[in-house]
Amino acid sequence: MSKDFEQQLYEALRPVDPEEGFEQRVLARIVQERSSTRRKVTRWASVALAASVIFAAVLGTHEWQLRREQEGLEARKQLLEALRLTGEKLDVAYQAVNREAPEPADDGSGA
Amino acid sequence: MIMRALFRHSMLVLVGTLSFCTNTFAADGQLKIPEFAGLADKAAESVIITLDPSLLRLAARFLDPSDPEDAAARAAIAGIKGIYVRSYKFDQDFAYPKADVDMVRKQLGAPGWQQLVQVRTRAEQQNVDIYLLVEQERANGLAIIASKPREFTIVNIVGSIDMKKLHELEGQFGIPKLDLEDKK
Amino acid sequence: MKASDTWSADELLTRARAGESSAFAALVRRYQRTVYSIALRMLSDRHRAEDLAQEVFLQLYRTLDGIDSDTHLAFWLRKVAVNRAIDRMRMESRHDNEPLTEAVAVADEPIEDDPLLHKRMADLVAQLPPAARAVVVLRYQEDLDPTDIASTLDMSINTVKSHLKRSLTLLRARVQGTAIVEDIR
Repeated sequence: MSKDFEQQLYEALRPVDPEEGFEQRVLARIVQERSSTRRKVTRWASVALAASVIFAAVLGTHEWQLRREQEGLEARKQLLEALRLTGEKLDVAYQAVNREAPEPADDGSGA
Repeated sequence: MIMRALFRHSMLVLVGTLSFCTNTFAADGQLKIPEFAGLADKAAESVIITLDPSLLRLAARFLDPSDPEDAAARAAIAGIKGIYVRSYKFDQDFAYPKADVDMVRKQLGAPGWQQLVQVRTRAEQQNVDIYLLVEQERANGLAIIASKPREFTIVNIVGSIDMKKLHELEGQFGIPKLDLEDKK
Repeated sequence: MKASDTWSADELLTRARAGESSAFAALVRRYQRTVYSIALRMLSDRHRAEDLAQEVFLQLYRTLDGIDSDTHLAFWLRKVAVNRAIDRMRMESRHDNEPLTEAVAVADEPIEDDPLLHKRMADLVAQLPPAARAVVVLRYQEDLDPTDIASTLDMSINTVKSHLKRSLTLLRARVQGTAIVEDIR
């Protein structure tokens, strides 16, 4: 008896565990990053102080850029959706035309 | 069989063989699409997209050239000046103003618009009309009007339509292949 | 079993945000299978999947304050895992697997009784283009509905549905050994 195809897909894509010790490796990486971050913070503190003055001045520009980026991403999403819908309707027409007429004889007439 | 031949042998071929009188007044490729005020609230699903030239340029800047879908989209929209989509799905039959949809269809009777395909499917009560605006042997507009009892879609693309590139969208965004290659 | 494994997810979050490493470790244990599996199905390589999964939890550690509930956490982990995987796939542009398209879907022997069917199906999913693959993994591994998939991938619902319909048609055809053209309704 064949199982429903989608049920087979569920079974084929059942989640699997990572290798033993994954949790420890994640925690080790966090510890490593924390000690590396501490060193970086000390080194860059003076630079950050100077930068903060400039940062305040460009904050307005940054916010505008973020807004523009959001608008751009939204426009991209809409564009992709528009093209998808266009293709979908073109395909409906193609499928209907394909169903209407039988395959022409291959006699080179082109009709 | 004629409809199938016209469609299958590429819309570009159709455009290439037309001889068009340059003195004839040609319609603007942009259709007047009704506001459909309040329809989005009634609809189960609605898609309202208005991408004028500046928004299209903005969208294009955010297309990732290394992504196949984005790259195909970028190629498809080269030369296009605007994309306008109104698509609504309802939970009941004819919950939308059919007259408004028909009004859009009527605009496609203007000079320059050539009907490419007309589909009428009795079983699903589905109507699909595809038109190209042809000016000086170039496709400068595309209009698709598709309707069923519980949904309708209007797509209007303005600008230089590259049907080959539209064809190359196949396989992206879940669009099946159109199989528009010439069958020799 | 550790004591932290009996805490509710919201309690774990609160404690992890407060700096309790045992709570954070318990969160990792609770969600490692989900995150790793998403990475594995997307990248098709255990080492790269583990690397990506570690990065996801690293990012979680950095941004714990922004997670306000267990539901949000699950959504966040899936979203970050799948989007990082897609980004990585695009950066690497791996071409060692030919993408699964209609053109490649030639008739194979029917394999209904193939004991390796599930492995084969998983391999076929791994050949789908990135966006379609992500949709299929979120649907059939994570059992998300199209609305949640759309939010996770920042796609429209209709695009999700298209990808699902298309991918199932392709996968079914490859598994059942029929040519695509005949199968499309």
